[in-house]
This record gives sequence, structure tokens and C-alpha cells, in this order.
Amino acid sequence: MSITLPTEFAELQPFAERWARATEYERAAERRGCTSAQLRSFYDVAIKHLPQILARVDRHPLNEIQGEDLHLFRIALSLAEIAPHVEFYDCDPHVPFAFREDRMLGFHSGRAD
Amino acid sequence: MSAVPRTSFLSRYPELGTAPIPVRPYLSNDYYAAEVEKIFKRDWLCVGRVEEIPKPGDFKVKRLEFAHTSVILIRAKEGSINAFHNVCRHRGNKVITETGGDETTGNKKAAVMSCRFHGWVYSAKGELLQVPHENKFPPCFNKSENGLVPIHVDVWEGFICINLAQRPSRTLPEFLGGLSEHLGGYPFHTMTHVHTYYAHINCNWKIGMDAFSEAYHVPTIHAGSFPGLTDYWQDDCELYGEHRSIAFYSRDMNPPTPVGTAANNIFGASIALKRSEPFQLPKTVNPQRHKNWGFEQTTMFPNFLIHVAEGLWFTHQFWPVAQNKCLWEGKYYTRKPLTNSERWAQHYAVILQRNAWLEDTATMEDTQDALLSGAVQEIHLQDDEIMLRHAFHIINARVEGA
Repeated sequence: MSITLPTEFAELQPFAERWARATEYERAAERRGCTSAQLRSFYDVAIKHLPQILARVDRHPLNEIQGEDLHLFRIALSLAEIAPHVEFYDCDPHVPFAFREDRMLGFHSGRAD
Repeated sequence: MSAVPRTSFLSRYPELGTAPIPVRPYLSNDYYAAEVEKIFKRDWLCVGRVEEIPKPGDFKVKRLEFAHTSVILIRAKEGSINAFHNVCRHRGNKVITETGGDETTGNKKAAVMSCRFHGWVYSAKGELLQVPHENKFPPCFNKSENGLVPIHVDVWEGFICINLAQRPSRTLPEFLGGLSEHLGGYPFHTMTHVHTYYAHINCNWKIGMDAFSEAYHVPTIHAGSFPGLTDYWQDDCELYGEHRSIAFYSRDMNPPTPVGTAANNIFGASIALKRSEPFQLPKTVNPQRHKNWGFEQTTMFPNFLIHVAEGLWFTHQFWPVAQNKCLWEGKYYTRKPLTNSERWAQHYAVILQRNAWLEDTATMEDTQDALLSGAVQEIHLQDDEIMLRHAFHIINARVEGA
């Protein structure tokens, strides 16, 4: 199913297929599959829209975001996922000097976040 | 590095000595076997939180590889939490199938458990309620004598603790001693939004505990994720019998970044960023109410590390599996988010901490591998590594004792 964002977020549309992912596990896997340049270009566009995304998702009750806004929220979570890599790790797609990431598993009470 | 000169920790605890520590405890199969028999099968172990099984019939099955058992924790109708070996009294099948691997959670309707093999039914108090074709069993079989095998269980500050011994030598409050007062009253129960990570790591369980028991590694290991925590110091070290506690102070926090600052302005949930909400700590935690205090790290002997900060807390636990294998569990707790943007902000803090834990766990298998070479017979500990030294003395005394 293709992911369509509201028109005012058209600039984010090219990133939607990759980054509007439901779980942390998927978002981290996408991040590891990116080049440094891909992380940077997503970051640069997403950070511009972050305040608007957070304002929109707060119009929904907690954990009940619907429709296009859910895609936007997941893109914001992807921005959180890649932020340390752009802001602290010199755009390395992996956590530098780390335990093998796919061996550390997350289990968040069944929540899809 | 310390803001205020203090006397060394070791001068306060001369019984710990200053000598190097032998590496045998990390490598020896015999040593491991003694730890299991003399510590893990005798002492109280934290196996969960009350919030994991809030309603009657809620259960958690926790696999304890070192004891070759799995433990059922189940909440009964009247609210009590009970613990049993997950073994049917008929022919020994697991009463609850472990579909979740190391941890399986769920709810049993009417708070009864039914073994899938032949349908024996047990109450949440362990009573054997029903045996299909009971009349075909010989007269010597008595239902009332064949409830689930119970395990001693007690709760402290919402932490569910079990003791595998048939007759524990101490109650849980006796076991905890001064630790209970030290962290007692910290509002664990108000911060129950948990992110859990785990990994099977090919190292001795103490290699893992050690790596999280000092801050000496922070400027090197966490140069990536916590670049602002390099100017740190440790203080407030207290030993409570087998348990121990120490505080981490830091002059600075992580530098402001666009996403980090955006998240922290919504909800401060990272130890590397300022937390703004007023917070009441127990009086022995950050006793001076120092503005540079970061967090307290407390070890509940033998294998549980509780870190408390303002507005967040997290735990590490290392479960022994073999002399060179363990299961690590890291859990990060904040209060429940009230809005979706708070949920996003908390998630940023968790991601940053997860990455720091990836940095921490990176060293563990290398350390185990390198020690196995036999090239070194002892390791050297500095004053700030007193938690490791204390752990060695306590564990070694138990292993060498009766």
C-alpha cells in the first residue's frame, strides 16, 4: 500500500515509503540499510517539519493517531531513531563501536512503537 | 576530576584491600557451578515488576536457565502474587508453554492454569483443581497433595522477588537490609512506561555486571552517545551487606542538538539531558541535593542493577547461563506519556540510551575472549571501581564458603 502524506508535507513524501514504519525494529533496520548521505538528506527535511508533525499528532488522543497523521508520527519516530547518528556519530548508519545491533532485541510490552 | 576532594572509597572500606582481582571467577566452570548452587539457588532474585501482572489471572513465566527451571508468577483472584515451578504434577510437562522464550506473559481466564498435555487444572494458588478421569488413578494418588511446587515469593517496592531455596535462610527484608531504606520511597510505581531490551551475550555474567558498575568507562565507551558526560565524578558510595550503591555526578550534559533539544523541551527523559520537572528523591539519594547529580546506581545482590534518576529509572540484569554465557536484560522506565508528542520525546531518550547500551555491551564478549587467552591472571581496579571489588569479595566468600 502506498503511503500518502498531507499536501503541506509534500517535501517529506519521497521519504515516506522508507521511514513511515510502525516499529523501532523496522526503523533501526532501515537506518542500517542507508548510506550516510541518505540519513543526512532525510534528517535535513524531517527536522524542518518536526514542530508541525508534533502539533498535528497532539490533536489525537494518546496512541490513537489515525490516517495520514500516523504516517507523519512514524516519520517523526524515524527522525528520533536517526538523530544520534546525524547529531553525534558523523552520519555513521551504525552505532559506532557497538555490540552487533541485530543481536540486541527490543520488547516493549507488545506496543508497536 | 572530582568537584570536591573526598577521601578514597577504599580508605572507608579497608576490608576490601587494594590488591588486583583474580580472573578465575570469570572463566572457571567450577566457580560458576558454585555460584549457582551457593548464591543463585539460595538468595532472593528479582524476576519482575507488579505492573507486569496487574489483574487476577495475569501471569509471567520466567525462564531461569541456570536452575534449569521456569517460574510461573501469577496473580490470584484476591490479588496476591504466587510463584511456582512450571512443572505439571502428572508427568512433568510445562503447565504453561513458553511461547515467549526467556519470558512469556499473558492472562489465564478465571485465574486457572490448564496443562495442555492431559488437561490437569491448577488454581492461581497452585491447588490441583481437576484431573480428567481422576477415578482411573490408584487410591494412593491424592489431588490435595499434588498442587504445583511453590517457590518463595515476596515483593519490595513493586519488585517481585523469588527464592529458589526450599527454606530461605533470610526473609526478603532481612536480605535487603539497609538497601531497602536507601531506595525505599523512590516512586518506581509512578514511572511504569517501560522499554525492554535483551541479548544473549557470550560472556560470564559478572563481566556484564562489572561493565555497568563503574563510570570510569563513560568518557571512552560513551564518547559517541554521551559526549557531554565526560567530566564526571562518583560519590556517595555505600555498602549494604552484599548490596552496594554509588552516585554519578556530571559537570555538563550532552550539547544541544536540534532533535535532542526538541525532545527535551517536551519531556526530559534522558540521563544526558536536563530534567526540569521537580522531583522528590529518597533522602539518602543525592543527600546534598547537588545540582550536578546525575543518577544513583545500586546493585541488589547478586545480579540486579537499579539506576534511579529524576523522572526516570532503569535496570540491568545479568542471568547466568554458563561460565561464558549470560542473558542481559535492560529496562528503561519513565512515567506514562500523556500526549503523542511526549511519547515521541520519551522515545528519543530511549533510543539514545539504547545506543549507549550497545556501546556498553560491545566490550563484554571481547573481555571474555581476551581473558580466556590466559595471558593475564589478574585485573586492576581503581578507587571508583569499588563496586566491582566489593562484588568480587562478596561472591568469592560465598563460593569458598560452605
